[in-house]
Amino acid sequence: MGYLGEFEQLILFAVVELGDDAYGGTIREAIERRTGRVVSSGAIYTALGRLAERDLVTSRIGEPTAGRAGRPRKYYSLEAEGARALSATYSTIQSMAGGLMARVTELAEGG
Amino acid sequence: MATDSRVLRLLRRLAALLIRGPEAVFIRADLDDATERDLERGIPMWRAQWRYAVNVLGSALSARPARWRASRLGVSWLDVRIGLRLLVKQPGLTAVAVFALAVGIPVGLIPLHAASAFEAPPPFAEAEQLQVLKNINVATSRWEAPSAYDFVQWREELTAFSALAMTTRGASYNVIAEDGRAAPIRGAEVTASTFDIVRVRPLLGRTLIAADELAGAPRVVVISHDLWQSRLGADPEVLGRSIRIGGVPRTVVGVMPQGFLFPIRDHLWIPLRVTAATDDHERGRPRIVFGRLSDSVSPEEAQAELMAVGQRMAIASPETHGRLRNEVVPFTIGLFGAGKEGLRGEAGFYGFQVLALLVLAIACANVGMLILARTATRSGEIAVRTALGASRTRVVTQMFTESLVFAVLAAGVGLLIADQISSTLFGWLLDALPYWTNFRVTLATVGWALVLAVLSAGLVSVIPALKVTGKAVQLNIQRAASGRSGVRFGGISSALIIADVTIAVAALGVAVGLSDGLTDIQDSRGIQAEQFLFAELRLPQFESGSDAAAFDEGAFELRLREAQQSLLQRLAAEPGVQGVAVGSSLPGMDHPRSGVEVDGIEHSEDFGDIRVSRARVDADFFDAFGQPVLSGRGFDSTELAEDSPAVIVNTGFVDRILSGQNPIGRRVRYATAADEEPGPWYEIVGVVGPLGMDLVDPGRAGMYHPSAPGKLHPLRLAIHVGDDPESFAPRLRALTGEVDATAIVWDPKALDKIVSFDAKIVGWVTTGAMALVGMLLALSGSGTYALMSFTVAQRRREIGIRTALGAQRSNIVRTIAKRALVQLGVGVLLGMAIAGRVLFEFHRAGRIPSQSPLLLAIAMGVGVMLLIGTLACVVPTLRALKIMPTEALRSGA
Repeated sequence: MGYLGEFEQLILFAVVELGDDAYGGTIREAIERRTGRVVSSGAIYTALGRLAERDLVTSRIGEPTAGRAGRPRKYYSLEAEGARALSATYSTIQSMAGGLMARVTELAEGG
Repeated sequence: MATDSRVLRLLRRLAALLIRGPEAVFIRADLDDATERDLERGIPMWRAQWRYAVNVLGSALSARPARWRASRLGVSWLDVRIGLRLLVKQPGLTAVAVFALAVGIPVGLIPLHAASAFEAPPPFAEAEQLQVLKNINVATSRWEAPSAYDFVQWREELTAFSALAMTTRGASYNVIAEDGRAAPIRGAEVTASTFDIVRVRPLLGRTLIAADELAGAPRVVVISHDLWQSRLGADPEVLGRSIRIGGVPRTVVGVMPQGFLFPIRDHLWIPLRVTAATDDHERGRPRIVFGRLSDSVSPEEAQAELMAVGQRMAIASPETHGRLRNEVVPFTIGLFGAGKEGLRGEAGFYGFQVLALLVLAIACANVGMLILARTATRSGEIAVRTALGASRTRVVTQMFTESLVFAVLAAGVGLLIADQISSTLFGWLLDALPYWTNFRVTLATVGWALVLAVLSAGLVSVIPALKVTGKAVQLNIQRAASGRSGVRFGGISSALIIADVTIAVAALGVAVGLSDGLTDIQDSRGIQAEQFLFAELRLPQFESGSDAAAFDEGAFELRLREAQQSLLQRLAAEPGVQGVAVGSSLPGMDHPRSGVEVDGIEHSEDFGDIRVSRARVDADFFDAFGQPVLSGRGFDSTELAEDSPAVIVNTGFVDRILSGQNPIGRRVRYATAADEEPGPWYEIVGVVGPLGMDLVDPGRAGMYHPSAPGKLHPLRLAIHVGDDPESFAPRLRALTGEVDATAIVWDPKALDKIVSFDAKIVGWVTTGAMALVGMLLALSGSGTYALMSFTVAQRRREIGIRTALGAQRSNIVRTIAKRALVQLGVGVLLGMAIAGRVLFEFHRAGRIPSQSPLLLAIAMGVGVMLLIGTLACVVPTLRALKIMPTEALRSGA
């Protein structure tokens, strides 16, 4: 199954949130809206490409739209394998962080 | 699309160029989507564009590259990324190569950039319709200012122009505001049509109108925004206020918008009254006639019509117009007196361009050497890739792209530096140039820089790439396996090292020689100029803008004489003042020149073939400068009249015109045309040494006339006050104020800061040339070091074998150094020969006073290059010797 990097997790969570409307542009916006991080479209497609090679997401080409000079969108959806990987990675982080966040916060504040 | 703008279209093109790979089409479509949504959310356009640009760059760096294939352009993004990685991986090489091209590319651009800046059209609507109408003297090929008669004729007859206007240029007016403060202000007399032609509306009030030009019309003035702010307190009720200009009260009728300083850097505009009858006595004042072409009329059609009118005028008045040819020239070019083609049409321009490109070529040669060295280390990798199926074109393309990366980087760095320094470099010129002239880097310059970057990348990469791919694959792989470079470039590297050393030695030689010539310019005044305070005194009512009727010449002369005598008396009584010289021109300033005839000397048919600098000076002039009269006598107070026949000449006159003969008692007069009445004879009564009449050519012949108080205006003073002369300026102002409250002391400064225009140009060219040779030296030095140390480092294996076989260290060093020293020696000899030749030419032209700097220069050139060469040779050899022989052999280094 393999471990997911932080950026890959962000992308997969965005795909979950967006459902049928998950394509590069909306994923980028979702990440920016929720985390404040501005990421490039190229980075998102590169990461999605890696995830697709690992069968964690699948893509389909949408209908051409008028607003994009007739260029279609490439929609992504989360596969069961992807959902498992996301869940496992998130759980790993949570287990590892369990009971430690108070100390981390303390250290971060110079304590 | 609603989200369209010029910037966005440009960014889209950039995206198409930079974002490659299988997802590129989706990424680019998403970029557009994101921008559209940004704008819908109310984000300002500039911010949406900024976000788009950031996204493009981020995507370009992170998107998955296209598969291993050259794109349609032959350049793939992967190659660019490899190039970027190499930049970081080899910082030394990157620094040297970027430095070389960051110097070479902007220098290569200077001529084109300067020409574009000088010829930029004025910032008016449809500026290309603005054309200057010129008279050119066919005999001398010089521009002649048009007369009022010309203007009136052209205005009546030409239909190609919707309007014509005439303006003076280069005039200063003494402006006295209501508070009584006087200050010199640049301004122009213009016909009212000027404002219709430039199509600029006033900020307040009105511009000039035709009625203002009529005789007896109220005296009015339109002022600049700056003048309104600085002298009139930005008074909103300024219209109707009166200011005295050149002694004449004028009513302010309009204020122009901020930044409008037409035609050069002028702050006030007064009506120019033009009638054909005011012709002859006005001729010779610097004026421009310009107009706006009628719609759909081309400059060529206007030119044809002007020629036809000109021919009619030549037939009507052959004595004044028979020798004239007419030209219609774009406005800014017309201001400079250059030909129709502007600077690009000047003969020197291409020479300058070739020189500048030569610097770039040398930079390219040096970078090429470094690339060659780098390529040699990669010959194994390239051989393997070739064996795996990469074509020669593919490999060459990759190497070109790698070079392109740092060429573009270097061009960017170079342009940034050029942008910062060009204002300083040309700043001293700006005062004489129109206000819209700007030497900042423009989009066109960036475009040219990119073209040069591509050309440079081609030049520096193609030879190494062809060389490294030209070898048999088998051999290269074998060599790669044994750890050796497959490329030997002894011949090329030797030639390049020799060329580099030659250039460096020659450059240093010429630089030292030139710097000596520059020092000479400062010294050629023949006085301790840093001990004198220079000041120019002006009294109001003697300005070119004042009406002749309001000006009483006799009364003014009397006033001037009283002011001069009174000021000189007060200065003489001042403690610390050791002397005061008064003259029409002072040492180091521009001196007017005229052709002369000397009694008893044969002259050619061409009158005025002997030209001398001239000045009018007071009786104490030579004493004040501590310059004794070498033979004969000085002026006595009885001969200070305007028509005195006594003149004093300088030693340049005696040497060059009289070939050393005794000048005392010889007669001289100003040359006139054959059909003109000759002027009066003057008698030479004394000889003085060179006194800075020509800083560039100190030996130039010069002649001094005596001048009585009240005859010179403006009055130029050199006050000998010893060290720190500028500290005396406030006292001088105070004394002048006591003598005449309206007198202006113009820009007092130490006399050594006054440098004639010629000398400024020579100084500028010399400084530029020195900077250029400095760059050449740095380029050659770094190139030589890099290549020599690389070739020596390549012989580490050989050094290892020799050490293993028991060779002595001193023997090894000698063997390695031998080849390097031969290369250095040949380069030094060639460089010395070139430097010697160049400096000899300078010496022969009288620019360098002695031979000594020549020897010093060459010695320095040789010394510096020997040092660089020895370091480049010895350091890697010693490093190689420190390695154990077995290690050197095993690593195959």
